[in-house]
Amino acid sequence: MDPVLAELTSVSKSYGPVSVLKKVDFSVRAGEVHALLGGNGAGKSTLMKILVGLVPATDGQVHIGGQPLSPVTPAQAQAMGLYLVPQEAHIFPNQSVLENICVGLSKPAAAYRARIEALIAQIGVALSPDTKAATLEIADRQIVEILRGLVREAKVLILDEPTSALTPHEVDTLFSRMRALRESGHGLVFISHKLHELRAVSDRITVLRDGYVVFSEMMSDSADADILAAMSPGVTALDARVAGKAQSKDILLSLKGMSGEGFVDISFDIHKGEVLGLTGVVGAGRTELAETLVGLRMRSQGKVTLDGTPFVAKSPSEAVRQGVVHLSEDRQQYGLFLDAPLFWNTSSFVYDRLPFFLRPGRERARFDSYRDMLGIKCASPDQPVSSLSGGNQQKVLLSKCLVAKPKLLILDEPTRGVDVGARNDIYRIIETLAAEGTSVLLISSDFDEVVRLSDRIAVMAGGYLAGALPGGASTDEIAELAFEAGGLAHA
Amino acid sequence: MLERIARDRIATLFLVTVAVLLAVGLAAPGFLAPRTASIIWSNGLVLMLVALGIFPVILTRNIDVSGGSILGLSAVTLGLSLNAGIAMPVAISMALGAGIAAGALNGFLVAVLGVPSIVATLGTLGLFRGVMLITTGGEWIEDLPEPLKMLGARSFAGLSVVGIVAAVAILVVWLFLRSRRGRWVMVTGDNRAAARHLGLPVKRIEFLAFVWAGVMASVAGITFAAQIGFVPNQAGSGIELRAIAALVLGGVSLLGGVGSVAGVVIGVIFFTSIDTTLVFLKIPAYWNDLIGGAMLLGVLLIDGRLRIALEARDRAARYRRGDQTSSTTRKLEDAA
Repeated sequence: MDPVLAELTSVSKSYGPVSVLKKVDFSVRAGEVHALLGGNGAGKSTLMKILVGLVPATDGQVHIGGQPLSPVTPAQAQAMGLYLVPQEAHIFPNQSVLENICVGLSKPAAAYRARIEALIAQIGVALSPDTKAATLEIADRQIVEILRGLVREAKVLILDEPTSALTPHEVDTLFSRMRALRESGHGLVFISHKLHELRAVSDRITVLRDGYVVFSEMMSDSADADILAAMSPGVTALDARVAGKAQSKDILLSLKGMSGEGFVDISFDIHKGEVLGLTGVVGAGRTELAETLVGLRMRSQGKVTLDGTPFVAKSPSEAVRQGVVHLSEDRQQYGLFLDAPLFWNTSSFVYDRLPFFLRPGRERARFDSYRDMLGIKCASPDQPVSSLSGGNQQKVLLSKCLVAKPKLLILDEPTRGVDVGARNDIYRIIETLAAEGTSVLLISSDFDEVVRLSDRIAVMAGGYLAGALPGGASTDEIAELAFEAGGLAHA
Repeated sequence: MLERIARDRIATLFLVTVAVLLAVGLAAPGFLAPRTASIIWSNGLVLMLVALGIFPVILTRNIDVSGGSILGLSAVTLGLSLNAGIAMPVAISMALGAGIAAGALNGFLVAVLGVPSIVATLGTLGLFRGVMLITTGGEWIEDLPEPLKMLGARSFAGLSVVGIVAAVAILVVWLFLRSRRGRWVMVTGDNRAAARHLGLPVKRIEFLAFVWAGVMASVAGITFAAQIGFVPNQAGSGIELRAIAALVLGGVSLLGGVGSVAGVVIGVIFFTSIDTTLVFLKIPAYWNDLIGGAMLLGVLLIDGRLRIALEARDRAARYRRGDQTSSTTRKLEDAA
C-alpha cells in the first residue's frame, strides 16, 4: 500500500444547528487520483476546505503526511504540501497573470516566468503571463488556478471541478498532466460532476450525500449505476433525449448577416418552441452574439427580425420587454444579486413592472410558485442567494428569467457547476418550456448537453458560423466543426 | 504622446501641474526659481507623510481617517515631553511610540475584531483627538525648544532634516511595493478571499498597514511641530481628507489593489503647488478650497473621458474580426 499523504478522520462540521458533515473519513494516498462525487450541498467543498485549513472542523482530525494540521490555516496546509484549486477561480484582477500565479510563493514572480511559460505551453492554451487578469475569460481564469496548483508542486493537489470551463482538448491535456503527477507519487483529489471524466483518470471514488460517505470503492470495481444510485437515490442516469418532437414551422427569430464584437456574418433562424443548440469552443463568439442580441454590446451589421418585425434592443430591459431574455454564463458576477433575498432575485428582471410601493408578500408568493415548479431547495424566500448551492442558484437564475415570460430564452451555459440531479431538473425545465412554445437558444460548451437537448445544432468557430447540424447529431460531428474552422493548431 | 497621457493618470497630472506652474510663472515673474520648488516641497511635507501612511491602508481596501488625530496626538506627546525637559531623541521616540500605539489600535479593531475600517477609524479619530485635548487641557503648546525647530529649517541643499526623512520614506515605500511582500499588500486589497486562499497572512498584512499609517502620521506630527514651532489644539485636523483626495488624484483606487508611489507624490505636489501659487499670486486664502476643488474635478473629468475613449478603442481592436481572423488566431496558437 502506498503511504497516506493526507487523511481526514471522523470529521464533522456544523454551522450552528445545521450539520454539514457527519463523521466523514477520507484519505489520499501517494500515486492515486481519488475522485470525490456528490450532489450540490453534499458537503464536498466543505470537506476540502477543512482539509486545506480554510474552515476549521467542528470535530475529528486532519493529518497531512502523518502530522496533525495545526494551526488550522491555509498557509500551514500549503506549507505541508496541500493545494486546493477551487471551483470559482480566485483572481486578483489588477495584477498580471504571472503575479496571480506566483503570489505567496517564496521567490519573486520573475523567478518563475520560465517555468510558467513551459507549463502554459504544455497545457496548450493561449495565455500570456503579462495579460492583466481582469481581462481574462472564465476559462482562462480557471487555467490560472490550475497553473497555481501545478507550479506549487503540492504533494496533494485538490481540483474542485477544474473542467467546468475547459474545452475537450484542454481537458485531455489536463488529464495527462494529472496522470503524470500521479506517476511521480503525488496524490490528487478530483471533484467533478461528470462521471465519464472521473472514470478517465481516477483510481478510487468516494461519494458523499447529505454529509455522509455513502460509497467508497476502487473505481474499477464500481459501476456507473451504483455510483449514481449512491449519489442521488432514484436517479440512475441522465434522462435520455426525447427524440422526434413535432417541429413548428413558424420562425420566431431570424438573424441575417449579423456581425459585432467577436463574431462575423451570423445567420440562422429559431423556430417557435424549438431548442437551438449553439455550441463551439470557448472564444468562438457565442456569448458575444447572445450579449449583442439583448443589447449589452454594440451590433455593427445585420438584420434581426422577431415575429416578422425588426428587432433591435439597445439594452437588456428593451429586449425583455420584447420577450427576449438572456441568462448570463457567469451567474456570480452578472446573474444574481448574491446577498439579496431569493425573492428579490426572482423579481429582478421585472422591476420596472412592480408597483410604486413594493408588495413583498406578492413577490414572495411568486417566488414560492417558482420554487415548487423548479424544485429550488431553500429554507425561506428571505435567505440570500449566496447561501444556496450552485444548482439551486442556477434555478433561482432561471426563475428570474421565467418571470419575464420570454418568447425567446437565451441560456448561456445553464448547467455550469451543477450536479447530475439538478442538471436533470434543468433539462426537464428546458424541455417543458419548449413544449409550451417558448423558443430556447442554448449556448453550451458541453457537446453532450447540446446533443441531449437540441432540436437543431449550430456550431460557431473563430467568430464564424461553422455549420449547422440536425438534432441527434453525434458529438464527434460537432467537435469536427467546432475545431476545424478555428484552425486547431493545438494538435 | 497623447496615448501615453491617456493611459497614465500620473503623466496627465504631472503635465497639468507643470502647466499651472508655467502659467503662474508667466503671470508673476520670479516665481520660476529653485526656491519655489523648495517652498512647495517643504509646504507639502506634512501632507506627503500622512498620504504615504494612508496609501498602504487604501491598497488593502481599507481606509484610515484618523491620520489627522494621530498627527495631533504625536505632536502633543512630543511638545509636552520636550517642555518637561526630556531629551529630544527620547521625546521623538515617545511621539513615534504614540503613533505606533494609535495605529496598532486601529489595526486591532479592523484586522482582529473585524470592525469595518471606516467605522473603526472614525471612532478613533474622535478618541485620539479627545485624548490629545485632555492631556493639554485644550491649551496650545508653545515655546518648543530651538533644536526641534532646527529639524524643520533648511540645512542641506535647500532641504531640511524632515524633508530628507520624507524623501527616504518615499523611497522606502517605493522599494517595498516592488518587493515580494509589498505585492502582498496590493493583492490583499485586490481580492482578499483569494489572498487568504493562497495562504497569505491577510490579517497581519492589514494590521501592519494600519501601524505604518500610525507611524507616518506621527512622523508628520513631528514635522508639523518642527516646522511651525508650536502645537495648536487643532493640529492636523482634516488633513486625512486632503491626503485621501491627493491619493485618489494620484490614481490610487479606493477599491484597493491599484496605485503607485509616483502617483502619491505627484498628487500631493499638485495640491501643494496650487496652494503655493495662490499665495504667490496674492489671491486671498479663502479662495484656496474653491480653486483646488475645481482643479481636482477638472483633472479627474478629463482623465475619465480619455480613459473611456481609449477603452472603447481597445475593445474594438480586440474584437476586430473579418478577413484577417484566421491569421490572427493562428498567431495566437503559435504563441502558445
